[in-house]
Order: sequence, then structure tokens, then C-alpha cells
Amino acid sequence: MPDMVFGCRPFIVMEEVVRLEDYIIVTNNPLVRDREESRHAVEYHETGIREILEIIRNKVHVGQRLLTHPLSGSVKPGETPYKSVLMTRGKEPVDLMSVELIQSAIEACGKFSFKSEEYDERAMRDFRIIDWTLISSALESADSF
Amino acid sequence: MKLEMGYIHISDIEFSSESKIENGKLYVSTDALKALVLEDEKLKDVSFDIARPGESVRITPVKDVIEPRVKVEGKGGVFPGIISKVDTVGSGKTYALKGMAVVTAGKIVGFQEGVIDMTGPGADYTPFSKLINLVMVCEPVDEIEPHEYEKAVRIAGFKAAAYIGELAKSLTPDETKVYETETIKEGMAKYPDLPRVAYVHMLQSQGLLHDTYVYGVDAKQILPTMLNPTECMDGAIVSGNCVSACDKNPTYVHQNNPVVHDLLEEHGKTINFVCHIVTNENVYLADKQRSSDWTAKLCKMLDLDGVIVSQEGFGNPDTDLIMNCKKIEAEGIKTVIITDEYAGRDGKSQSLADADAAADAVVTAGNANQVVVLPKLDKVIGTLDYITKIAGASENTLREDGSLEVEIQVITGATNEVGFTTLSAR
Repeated sequence: MPDMVFGCRPFIVMEEVVRLEDYIIVTNNPLVRDREESRHAVEYHETGIREILEIIRNKVHVGQRLLTHPLSGSVKPGETPYKSVLMTRGKEPVDLMSVELIQSAIEACGKFSFKSEEYDERAMRDFRIIDWTLISSALESADSF
Repeated sequence: MKLEMGYIHISDIEFSSESKIENGKLYVSTDALKALVLEDEKLKDVSFDIARPGESVRITPVKDVIEPRVKVEGKGGVFPGIISKVDTVGSGKTYALKGMAVVTAGKIVGFQEGVIDMTGPGADYTPFSKLINLVMVCEPVDEIEPHEYEKAVRIAGFKAAAYIGELAKSLTPDETKVYETETIKEGMAKYPDLPRVAYVHMLQSQGLLHDTYVYGVDAKQILPTMLNPTECMDGAIVSGNCVSACDKNPTYVHQNNPVVHDLLEEHGKTINFVCHIVTNENVYLADKQRSSDWTAKLCKMLDLDGVIVSQEGFGNPDTDLIMNCKKIEAEGIKTVIITDEYAGRDGKSQSLADADAAADAVVTAGNANQVVVLPKLDKVIGTLDYITKIAGASENTLREDGSLEVEIQVITGATNEVGFTTLSAR
């Protein structure tokens, strides 16, 4: 496995910016879209939890790298309808760690059963809020310099 | 650093006009406690209840469990940086009220578990069913945001625990235990032939209902750092997380961390317990790399021979756990990791979201997907509104006789990953 490089800040060698990473938020959470799209690049998909993870996996397969963990949060993939992740916008050689992380997240979906019809609007709103706070904690790290 | 812990055994709790502890019985003035809790303008009301071991009572959704303690001698006070000033704690004398806890409950989000059954099969899965629990259900003002409510309930619990702890300040403890560790240099000189061991303690740090605080600092923002093993006994680490309740550490667990206590027990006998290292479990992958690099660096700088690593949670923290394990092992230091498992209801699925050959010494706290039937109990403190819908819910969850078929992940502390649990293997 190649050395893993995380982070999305530019770093400078010989006074030249040799690499400027830029990120996008990929999400199926409308609250993340509404709160973040004025500040960040947001790619919103109106779809289910497994489907959004598969969209993210397809991006990983063409060389976009995960910047956050797709199994963030203690409400498991089969237990929450929403997931947001941060990814590099540009394409690189496929990052094996990203492949493993997203594959493992999709597999985890099978262990839990989610029944959105059993939740009222307040619960769904709270799922959106929790997912948003999880991605916000990552944005704070990503934007700290 | 030396800390004398005085243990005062509480045999019962009773509501009374005056708060006091007499002959091992705690009398609580709910008026006084209510006035204290409602100092926070985010809270509209609070109700109190008492749940005793063996009673037909279910407490849910549980937010935190806290052991009342008081600083009697020495620097600082309990819950530094939150209730007391931020002085370094862990030395002098502290009293703890044993056999009881303050339990905070409240429906902070519209899906939330966290169950403590005081009797029946559910009680067997949680260590907190063995305590006399003073339960506080806090009601927020209208239109409050979940994070404001979470903070208000979190602080209310610490205030109540500190208030009750203070009642013990002039008492004589039933039992006393002295914990002492040396500085790095003293320890090396004193125990030259004993293996040097530290505890790498991973703390939840991801966002709302997924946070932990160290001396009042959000653990998301810490770099891995060293504590004296006795600091956690004075409340240096407190909980702000409770969802997926089976493998989250309530504050009570931080105060009574069994890894810390067992390592202290062996200190000077079979090992030299060098220090307690705390690190985080952030969502951002660069933070994971930084923190795991730093834990490995600290372990190397301390010339350790062995490390115990415990994680908190599942999924995202599995990655931190394996990164910590791999990097520490790569420094030539042996590791033992403590985790729980999400292996599916049949136990046949991959248990962790990450793995590595370096993780060749693993202690498991059990399979959180294991199914249990919780019988209907006579009384519920809190609400059952959402318990039937989360954490292993199925069409069979709420059965005709009122019992609940759930996975043990709903039960507070069922698969606790520092080993503060009742599960074991035969």
C-alpha cells in the first residue's frame, strides 16, 4: 500500500504551491446542503444511505480520496438515513485506504435495519442535525488553516 | 502522584427536606437540587426519581451516569474545567459515594436509546442496575436546539453529582485506598526490571452526542497527551456521548476506569504503569493520522514495552484503533487492544470495520448485535417513545405482551470497551 496522505491544505515546496487540494462534500442530507452550500462545494443526492455510499465508492474508484471516515457517528449506516463525507475534488491514483473504508461502510449497512417509515419528522430532523454536526467537526479541522 | 480515595457506601436514597448523608443513607432535598439545576435558563423543569436494584423499573433514554465525588484535600476540585477551576487534579484526598449514581435522562434527539433495567435479563447486561440511581429527567425550554439541550443536561448532571458529593466532605470513609505512581525517572529507578506499560485511552470525539471533554476541553481539539493515572478519578475526563449506548463511556466509567484501576493494582508488582495517554477519534482522516502518529511517538519517547489500547464506539473509531495499534507495534512496543464487536445477529459478520495483522492480541467486550428480550416492566423513568425503533429494531421489536426484542446495543454499558461490563466468556 502506498504511503497515505491525508489533508486538504496546500503545502509549499521551493516557494511554489505544488499541490492544492480542494474538497467537496458529498451528501444525501438536505440540511448539510442548505447550511454549507454557500461556504463549500456540496454535491447533493436525494437518495438512500446505501445509494449515497455507493455514489461515494464510485468516486473513490476513479481517484477521489476520502477526507473523512464514512462510518462517522455512532448511529450506524443501517440506522440513519443520512450520510455526508468530505472528498478531494481532483482525481489521483486510486487511494487504497479510501477503497477499504468505503467498502467496509457499505458492508456495515447490511448489519443494521433502518425503517424510515417508523420515524416521525422530528426524528428525521434530528438525524439530519447529527449528520451535520459530524461533518461540521471535520470541516472545522479541514478549514483550520 | 499520590491520591487517597475514601469510599463511602450508600445503602439507600430518600427524598427529604434537607440534604445530608447519615448512617450511609443519602437524603436529598429535591427543592435544593431543582433550584441548582434550574439555574440554567435552558432548562424549564427537572424531575427526580429513585431506582433501586431489583425494582421493576426501566430508565431510558439515559444520557450520563455520574458518581458523586468530592475533593477533600489537595489541589483542585472535581470535574476540573467544568465545575471546578482548571487546576490539575489527581493528588491529595477524594471521597466517592459508592453504590449509587446520578443518572441524567432526557430525550435530546428524536431517536435515542440508552436503557438501564433495574431487574430482569436487561439488568444482567448493565453494571448500572446494581446501583441505587438518583435519576434526573431534565425538560428544556421550548424551541431549544439539540446541542444546547445536550450541554444543559450534561452540566446539570455534573452540578447535581458535585452537590451530592459535597455532602460527604466531613464524613469518615468506610474504606480507603491509596493510589500512587512515580515520575518517569523515579519509576525507572524503582522498578528497573518491570515492563514499562501505558494505557492509550481513545475518547469519542465526533460531534453532537459523540463528544468527550478533558479538563473541559473538547477532545476533538486535543493532541494526544499524558495524564497521571489518578487524574481521571477526580473527573478530569467526562462524557458528552450516549448514542449506541452499549459501548460509550458514561462519566462514571471514566471515574472508575477498570483498565486504570487494574494497571494501578499491578503497578510495582508485575508492571511499571508509566502513564495514562488520552487520544481522540475524530472524523477527519488527517486528524486520525496526526493523533495516531502522536500516540506512537509518545509511546516511543516513554520507552514503553507494552501498551493497552481501548477504543470507544464502532466504525470510525475502529480505524483509529488499528492505526494506533499498527503504529505503536511498528515502534517495537507490544499492544493489546480492547474493543467490542458488531458481528451481526448471528455473529458471523466481520466484527470490526478495520483490522490488521499487528492486532494479534484482542480483548472483546461482546457482540453488540446480540438479541435480547426485555420484559415489560412496571415503571418507566423517561420515555419509551423511540426505543422500539432503533438499534436492532425489527417488526418483532414490540411484542404483544409488551416486551421488547432489541439488540444489546441499546443497553447502557452492555459491551463497554474499557471492560466496565458484566459480560464474560466461559
